[in-house]
Amino acid sequence: MSAHTIPSPIEATTLSPARRLLGVLPGMALLFGIGLLGKLLEQAQTLLHTRYPKVAVPHIEYVLWAIVLGLLISNTVGVASIFRPGVATYELWLKLGIVLVGAKFLLQDVLHIGGLSLGLVAVELILSISVMTLLGRLFKLPPKLTSLLAIGSSICGVTAIMAAQGAIEPEEEDTSTAIAAILTLGAIALFTFPAIGHLLHMSQQGYGMWAGLAVDNTAESLVTGALYGEEAGRWTVLAKTARSSFIGFVVLAYAVYWSSRGLAPDVPHKGLFLWNKFPKFILGFLAISILATAGFFTHGQLTSLSNLSRWAFLPAFAGVGLRTNLRALIGQGWRPLVVGILGEIFIALITLALVYWSFNHGVSR
Amino acid sequence: MANLNHTLPTAGRINIDLIAIGIGLTLAALIRFNILPSISF
Repeated sequence: MSAHTIPSPIEATTLSPARRLLGVLPGMALLFGIGLLGKLLEQAQTLLHTRYPKVAVPHIEYVLWAIVLGLLISNTVGVASIFRPGVATYELWLKLGIVLVGAKFLLQDVLHIGGLSLGLVAVELILSISVMTLLGRLFKLPPKLTSLLAIGSSICGVTAIMAAQGAIEPEEEDTSTAIAAILTLGAIALFTFPAIGHLLHMSQQGYGMWAGLAVDNTAESLVTGALYGEEAGRWTVLAKTARSSFIGFVVLAYAVYWSSRGLAPDVPHKGLFLWNKFPKFILGFLAISILATAGFFTHGQLTSLSNLSRWAFLPAFAGVGLRTNLRALIGQGWRPLVVGILGEIFIALITLALVYWSFNHGVSR
Repeated sequence: MANLNHTLPTAGRINIDLIAIGIGLTLAALIRFNILPSISF
């Protein structure tokens, strides 16, 4: 297990609930501590800029601070074992943030833009799976590793790869290589996408949709969106959740394919399989959005819910940095990475074109 | 082995999703009935 592997708190099933809760506290404190420090550093910059307007101080958002601080820790001193169970809770904070951000979307927005996203996702899925499969064959990658890379890059990164792991039974090495490639590409996207967005003068909505459609892993995708602006971050959530909802269908298709070749177990109950693979947190996001649309909350309460979602994203962003060990990611072999990079460049370009096309044809809001 | 454990294979993912929904809806209810004060960021 490499230094950047962070075990889940739920793995330790032999511990009592109270001890497990105690075990996650140090890591949770680290996540919130880094997030708060990032926020403080952003405020300090603003203060500095107000007091000394002539001094050129680059404005760095708390999102970037949180990631950079997390990256610094994980790539220098490393994450001590006492913190790891708590750092793994970043996924819970990420999903809680997504559920709560539903308050910022009226159902008609979700249906309209979510519907548009679903259409774009369908095109993106077909193209990215085809390209990844082609590149995998070209670079002579093991077939199941190619499948994992195609699943990871077309839907939602690590979650999709993990969902596929049980269904198509790849070599453990293939799974870890595919995850490493997807995480490396996510780390690259964090720093390249916002720059490209600014270069192209993209709108908040257009950029947010692009980040949600093109960046694979949910955490990296949301951070990439948030780095461009708060509104962009919200649109990223919507596009990304639409994309994630396809996870069951794609994994099922691959499971049936490998099963038909006798290289994976049969899938007897396909409906149950789809439900088991469906990311349930999307239902929470929709529930809050429906309540907001129905007028269940006042304007002030909606603002509070939105702010709560930002508080939930704060430790999640810190977690993205903390669980990324660049050296371990790069050490996974060059061929899957080259396939991933080529495929991702294609996906980024095609989704960018799709977003521009949809905007120019007036299908966005 | 790379980052295999940060997302759980099966049941863990579902549990985390349900926990996130549970916490989210509870917080929404607490805000709706003014049990939680106004939250700023």
